[in-house]
Amino acid sequence: MKLSRLIFIITFITLFSLLYVWQQTEAFRLAYTGQKSLTTFQDLLDKNTVLRYNIQRNASLISIGNKVYDSADFQIPGKYQLVRVISTGKTLRVAQRLPNKENMLTRLFGIKRQAEAKTFGP
Amino acid sequence: MYIVNYHRRLDAVFLLLFLFLTACIARLLFIQFFRSSYLTQIAKKQHSLFLELEPRRGSIFDSNLKPQAVNISKDSLYAMPSDIADKDKEKIIRQLIPILNLNRAYLKDRLYRKKSFIWLARKISPQQAEAIKKLKIKGLDFIKESQRCYPNGYLAAHIIGFAGLDNKGLDGVELYYDRYLKGEPGWALFLRDARQRKLGLYEKMVLPKDGYDLVLTIDEVIQYIAERELDKAFRTSHAKGASIIVMDPHTGAILAIANRPTFDMNEYGNAGKEGMRNRSITDLFEPGSVFKIVTASAALEEKKVTEEDKFFCENGSYRVASHILHDHTSHGILTFREVIEQSSNIGTTKVAQILGAQTVYKYVKLFGFGAKLGIDLAGEINGSIKEPRRWSKVSIGAVPIGQEVGVTALQLVTAVSVIANGGQLMKPFTIKEIRDKYSEIIKEFSPVMIRKVISLDTADRVKQILVGVIEEGTGKLAKISDFTSAGKTGTAQKLEANGAYSHNKFIASFIGFAPAEDPVISIAVIIDEPHPYYFGGVVAAPVFKNVAGDVLRYLKTNATQNETMALNETNAVN
Repeated sequence: MKLSRLIFIITFITLFSLLYVWQQTEAFRLAYTGQKSLTTFQDLLDKNTVLRYNIQRNASLISIGNKVYDSADFQIPGKYQLVRVISTGKTLRVAQRLPNKENMLTRLFGIKRQAEAKTFGP
Repeated sequence: MYIVNYHRRLDAVFLLLFLFLTACIARLLFIQFFRSSYLTQIAKKQHSLFLELEPRRGSIFDSNLKPQAVNISKDSLYAMPSDIADKDKEKIIRQLIPILNLNRAYLKDRLYRKKSFIWLARKISPQQAEAIKKLKIKGLDFIKESQRCYPNGYLAAHIIGFAGLDNKGLDGVELYYDRYLKGEPGWALFLRDARQRKLGLYEKMVLPKDGYDLVLTIDEVIQYIAERELDKAFRTSHAKGASIIVMDPHTGAILAIANRPTFDMNEYGNAGKEGMRNRSITDLFEPGSVFKIVTASAALEEKKVTEEDKFFCENGSYRVASHILHDHTSHGILTFREVIEQSSNIGTTKVAQILGAQTVYKYVKLFGFGAKLGIDLAGEINGSIKEPRRWSKVSIGAVPIGQEVGVTALQLVTAVSVIANGGQLMKPFTIKEIRDKYSEIIKEFSPVMIRKVISLDTADRVKQILVGVIEEGTGKLAKISDFTSAGKTGTAQKLEANGAYSHNKFIASFIGFAPAEDPVISIAVIIDEPHPYYFGGVVAAPVFKNVAGDVLRYLKTNATQNETMALNETNAVN
């Protein structure tokens, strides 16, 4: 075998080995980076889940009910429970029921729904 | 001479080297051919990490897909006592006590064990985990574990139940449908570095199969209304216990079940036995007058009486064998309709005497009493009803008015639903659908009719009588504004330990449905030992009124909203 050929083979094998080692090192480096990112991602995802859960919990009927329960006897309003209140300076009073004069204009621009917000027990 | 010695020494050195080399080769050959598998195994163990991959436990939703049970990832703290020096253990205990609120003896016992892994506290709060992580204690570490959480606390606690520390269902649908919820674990062989740290590379992996989601028949809003009103009645009547069931009479779908006392599903460890019991399916009681709907239905179905037939109610006192039967108020002559409306025990007994024991028993069984209805919840009981051959002479004056029989609240609501839906006994159920993680429906539950109990005509006639109970009779406090309703009151004396009827312990009940002309909901309300008022018409009927009123208004609003949305969509398409 010629010396130049031997040197070429040895160089090739050495370079190939170095490339293999570099590739393995790189694979592990990326694995570490991936692991770190995954941990961060998982952590953020967990925090997001906890946050969503806390929002759900605070917005739950039980939570709202507990807050409302002390101040008012909350009921789902029926039509007969709706009244219109008007302000008379310092106080509010229940307005007289007006005859139904609905037409296209009042239906479009009326504020009846917004005004009939307060509910009373039967 | 010198040269000869030199050659000998050289041979000796060569021989020694040769022997050494031969020994090395022999050793290498031995390792290669005889020890290779053992050593490969050790190396694999060192480089690979076998991990079981936990599946996601299925979530639970109400009928409108509002979450009722979800999973949250939490840190669990473990120690490696063998890696901690004894002198450091005392310091660690002192640091952990204020954060974890654990007692010293417990931590000392754990940290001084000769183990390489031991749990210190599982599924701790994020704040606790952060505080411990900041201390950077060597020999302590965390593992992420998923914890079951219930955003609504105690809402529908007796239906949903709860899952334990290892995410296994222990009660309610969590237990009954555990096989669907739990999923199947997977596994993976991860690579580890020389410091035994897990890398994001794996040799083999079998992905876990996530659990399926459950969609309940329960509506969160209806459940809340039922819980709220039951809670009010439970508190104001100083009762020992209370139950309410709201059902769709046409399908048997349970819309709400609430019991008092109850428990918070997130803190099931602190709940007592009384609070955890789903008394609406596990507790047996004598129903009292609400049971008269069975006698009335039997009498009309068998065509033995008509609504206008007259019965003399003996002015409040009537002998049946050795027993004197009383009415709560004395009546003279009442029509059959009035007998039920005024809840006359004597009138009802006289009707039952016309029917005979066999017929009464037949209808009691047909209405589903004395047998399980097959609801998909753990712990349902049969109830009890004696066969007519074992009846005493007094029984004909007891069974038709709801004595000498044991029933559950579930059986009562199912029975009143028979009247509401035109005569069909429907199987109660709590699960609407099972879905996978992509929201694809895996299994759908349809209504099941157990049997036809009475004809449509009989059901309508009984319905009219039950409307009269609310309009003219004992159930006036159950009258709902804006809607018609039908129902029956009941006040049953409880049995004392000596077998005699108590004079101060009662069960107040009300069963009914609304709207009367086209029922949407049927409700059973049971209040156990209310004080000082104990009549079903006074204690339980208002609960029916409030729940039915609010639920109907809610359903009506919902229907209107859905119609509006559908109309808007149609307009948008056009």
